[in-house]
Amino acid sequence: MHGPVTEVIQFIDLNAYSIIFLFLVGFIGGLVSGFIGSGGAFVLTPGMMSLGVPGTVAVASNMCHKFPKALVGAIKRFKYGQVDLKLGLIMGVFAEIGVQMGIMVQRRILESFGEAGSNLYVSFIFVMVLVIVGSFVMRDAMKIKKSSGPAKGGTTLAKRLQQIELWPMITFKTANLRISMWFLVPVALATGMLAATIAVGGFIGVPGLMYVIGATSIVASASELVIAFVMGLGGTLIWAYYGSVDIRLVMIILAGSLFGVQLGAIGTTYVKDYMIKYVMAVIMLIVAVSRFFAIPKYLNQLHVTSFNEASVSIMTQISFAVMCFALLTGASIILFSLFKARSVERAVLAGS
Amino acid sequence: MEYAVSVAKRMHCSILAAHINTLPFYRDGGKRSNLFTTAMQESAAHFAHKAAAKEVAVEHIGDSGKIGKAVNRLCHSAGRRIEFVVIDQGIKLEEVAAQSPVPVFTVKYPQNKAGLQAKTSTSHLFPKGVQRMPTATKKRHLQNTIVFGGLTAALYAAVFTNQEVVMTYFTKGGLFAALPVGLVFAVSYFHGNFTSSFWSALGIESSKATAGKTAEIREERPVKAPVRKDTRPRAELQA
Repeated sequence: MHGPVTEVIQFIDLNAYSIIFLFLVGFIGGLVSGFIGSGGAFVLTPGMMSLGVPGTVAVASNMCHKFPKALVGAIKRFKYGQVDLKLGLIMGVFAEIGVQMGIMVQRRILESFGEAGSNLYVSFIFVMVLVIVGSFVMRDAMKIKKSSGPAKGGTTLAKRLQQIELWPMITFKTANLRISMWFLVPVALATGMLAATIAVGGFIGVPGLMYVIGATSIVASASELVIAFVMGLGGTLIWAYYGSVDIRLVMIILAGSLFGVQLGAIGTTYVKDYMIKYVMAVIMLIVAVSRFFAIPKYLNQLHVTSFNEASVSIMTQISFAVMCFALLTGASIILFSLFKARSVERAVLAGS
Repeated sequence: MEYAVSVAKRMHCSILAAHINTLPFYRDGGKRSNLFTTAMQESAAHFAHKAAAKEVAVEHIGDSGKIGKAVNRLCHSAGRRIEFVVIDQGIKLEEVAAQSPVPVFTVKYPQNKAGLQAKTSTSHLFPKGVQRMPTATKKRHLQNTIVFGGLTAALYAAVFTNQEVVMTYFTKGGLFAALPVGLVFAVSYFHGNFTSSFWSALGIESSKATAGKTAEIREERPVKAPVRKDTRPRAELQA
């Protein structure tokens, strides 16, 4: 999606409605990102497009707002000691390679199947990844919640992988693990490829860090912010090189999202470990439903199916509404648990 | 502080509180000196309030230089009779005791109550000495909010009032790509600081219980019956 832009770019005029809309979406997206490490960006691209922003500008501006947000979030969570900088940077570099690979795949599909085929591919990947990974994370979160014990460091898969001594081994101090580079790279590449395909690499990156690498969800989601920063910066430089970043949109979204990202990062210091997994799984599964509603439109365009126009347009609207709902649900869970934990802590402090 | 006040009341003494800046020429553009001055004013007010409650006279002195020499100087100054010296935590006892003509006491706090370390937001910047300077965190958050809020507003105003110019140059592409990226970095610095201090000023801050810890450390510990500790400050005699 970092491709060159050849057509003349149209930039929209801003009005009060679009400013408020972008600010709010920015805030909620930022809140979710600060908490689970990424996500929140996926509503912005279709959201901006619904305001009349051309697709390339929407994608470019979204990318450009993502990396400062990730930077601010990463710094905040670094202060809390949750970020493994080394892990994030190494993963980030390979994820950037993954992004380039993802773009190549995307272009290949675009050439052979046209735009609708490419959209269908994106939606298909969306639904597949979100349902599989989302339900896995959800099951895990439920299990931890039920057992109500402390989260153990990593899964059996991660433990087994950590035991394989394959040169070069890398030690990560904050994440408290030692693993071969060879297991790190595929996770990073997959993160990058997913980011290039559906704009949210974190839906693979964070679960990958938790279940394959073996980091705790707090460290995983915090380090994902570093990965998002590296990927976002790389992507933005390319987009800006072709002049498709609308800095006004970026600044409005940032105005909201930096408020959110701070609050989301603060939230992680209050909640239990499984809450991050829980919120992430909820968002992923709801978004999967949303993308499912988008599929008929592309199937129609490919002449595979023939739903009538009216129902397709309703489904497209439902798809967007469900996506917003996913974000709102995530945000309200975060806010609710933040303020609940805060009042509990205050009561404890006042009592002692 | 509490100890000094209670002892002064019991022994019918008055207090001469000396705030000594041990690094007056520390090169940081006067930052440390300013911090010291504000901290001293604050602590003086605090002290005076406590002393007034117990009807003890208290006098404040600001000084700078080596702590031992300052104590020596104060003890030999005319017009006062210094009976003994009580020093706060974080001050090296030997340094004072070596040069003081009168007995020196340190105060031991069974609980980590001395100073206001936890409240000081600058504690990570100044690992020694300065960390006990209480500075109004809330007030500083508010100040930061206003300063960075103003800067952010100015930045936004500058961009949005010159939309046309900005959009022309920022979308030129090529090397002009540095413009949007640079601007976005500026936004993330100013606005990031603004939002951070904004939530802090509202009192929404990270959990005290888990801040600075990773999830790894959060494992449950065996529950022990809490032992009530003696929390009263005590003096140690070092004549």
